[in-house]
Amino acid sequence: MIGRMEKAARLIWPVLSLALVLVVLAALLSLGPMPLQRTATEAFIRLIVVIGIYIFIGNSGILSFGHVSFMAIGAYGSALLTIPPTMKKIVLDLPPFMTALQLPTIPAAVIAATLSSIFAFLIGVPLMRLSGISAAMGTFASLAIVYVVISNWKEVTGGASALIGLPVYADIWVTLIYALLALGLAYAYQESRYGRRLRASRENEVAALATGINVRRERLIAFVFSAFIVGFGGVLHAHFIGVLSSSSFYLDVTFITLAMLVIGGMNSLAGAVTGTIVVSVLGELLRLIEAGFDIGTVHLAAPRGLREVGLSFLMLMILLFRPQGLTSGREFAWPIAPRAG
Amino acid sequence: MQSVRAADGGTLEARDVHVRFEGVRAISGASLHLGQNEILGLIGPNGAGKTTLVNVLTGFQRPDKGSVWLSGRNVTGRTPFQLARDGVARTFQGVRLFGGLSVFQNVEAGALGVGLGRHRARERADEVLQWLNLASQAMARADALPFGEERRVGIARALAMRPRFLLLDEPAAGLNEHECDELRDVIRDIRRRLDCGVLLIEHNMAVIMGLCDRIHVLDQGRSIAEGAPSDIRANSDVKKAYLGEDFV
Repeated sequence: MIGRMEKAARLIWPVLSLALVLVVLAALLSLGPMPLQRTATEAFIRLIVVIGIYIFIGNSGILSFGHVSFMAIGAYGSALLTIPPTMKKIVLDLPPFMTALQLPTIPAAVIAATLSSIFAFLIGVPLMRLSGISAAMGTFASLAIVYVVISNWKEVTGGASALIGLPVYADIWVTLIYALLALGLAYAYQESRYGRRLRASRENEVAALATGINVRRERLIAFVFSAFIVGFGGVLHAHFIGVLSSSSFYLDVTFITLAMLVIGGMNSLAGAVTGTIVVSVLGELLRLIEAGFDIGTVHLAAPRGLREVGLSFLMLMILLFRPQGLTSGREFAWPIAPRAG
Repeated sequence: MQSVRAADGGTLEARDVHVRFEGVRAISGASLHLGQNEILGLIGPNGAGKTTLVNVLTGFQRPDKGSVWLSGRNVTGRTPFQLARDGVARTFQGVRLFGGLSVFQNVEAGALGVGLGRHRARERADEVLQWLNLASQAMARADALPFGEERRVGIARALAMRPRFLLLDEPAAGLNEHECDELRDVIRDIRRRLDCGVLLIEHNMAVIMGLCDRIHVLDQGRSIAEGAPSDIRANSDVKKAYLGEDFV
């Protein structure tokens, strides 16, 4: 009986410990001033995106520079489904049924994230034939395509001008709940037969094929699933800011989310969470230093761009001295040592 | 003769297989059949095309000419994972474990690969680890193992697939005498317990002669002889292939 309970504890501890950390952080930060709460909310949204990216990169071992395109599709998809018709009539030029359509936020979010998945499936079928650097470049190309389309498709996305009028509902608690869901789903996937088969192929593709693993298919499953989670992150981003512009779904976010994953350690869920927390905290500190502070009449401020330079420097150090990331690609293990025998 | 064998269920066959690499003939006319419940040795000098033939039989190499048959069905051009799911397992000369995973996860992956769920795969992995005396190493990382154990995990992973045919590419290379003896017991055990046909590529003649029901000899990509161990030992073509013209 005790043995079985201990076994169960061992199994869920890696994800339970992370969930506890997030809940405690949210509880503490929710007591802080509004700007701090907003920073925390933004960090939880980033976390959902990073967990989504991790589902693919971490389990398959294939780098993707394209996942932010799924975020964009989720964000714009949900925007089109939730902006009030009167507003849509003014800023967009949609077919009548699309203009009239307005859904409650949760169904809209699920549909938008599903659209990201469908897009991932369509580009994934050819992309999953590639591996290594060509796969990474292929995903990058898909990001560029989505970015350019969104920036120019005036009728549907508003083009270069920002899209406004989205209902704002993503606060710290809402994003916490979705972050916990993402965490649970990611862990369930990596512990499933699908996740295990993909992780085997990450270690040795040839041996995986020889043991009956359809590597391409397993990669595609992870790609589509990860697009759903990242798409959901995009949805929450949209309904946190309330305003969408295409430039918020391009290189900056791609860099920062990948930096989070690399710094934390891209082979474990614990790495995705650790990296997001560390980079968010550090980024915030650097931003404060950048903004400067007053001592008496003297205003001290660091040069602009300190945040980007600081984070890049940290990533470089990690790559050089701890290439498996802060967590070394491990999950957090059950802290009690197994009894002898 | 061959079609009769095919009818009773278990054979893996190469028929007149040819493979070229950028104009160089790696295999030019190799044919062999492996029945269930038999141990077939595949020997030949370095560069004779033994591994290439295994690659053809497991779908990693598409033959330029000739065909592969599994229990009477033409399976030429099937992908490696399809053949693996149909019961053809192999090990690699370079072992190729899933280095960052534990020994247990390596073996479990074999069972998951052929379609088992987590629960049954776990049971099967436990069973195979017990069998191959690896249970105490189950939680060790695969890339931290000593060489001999690494090879044993490679075999365990293939056995977790419950194969009908198991192709072992130089499993004794680099093993000490004690480990070689253990390996021999394991291979005998595999045939007995799994009713599985074993193809054994090996340079260690003690292992080959002691284990095999039949031996197939490749030289310069061609099948030059096949027979019982005693016949092969006496065969002059085989001596010529191994030792050169002058010694015969």
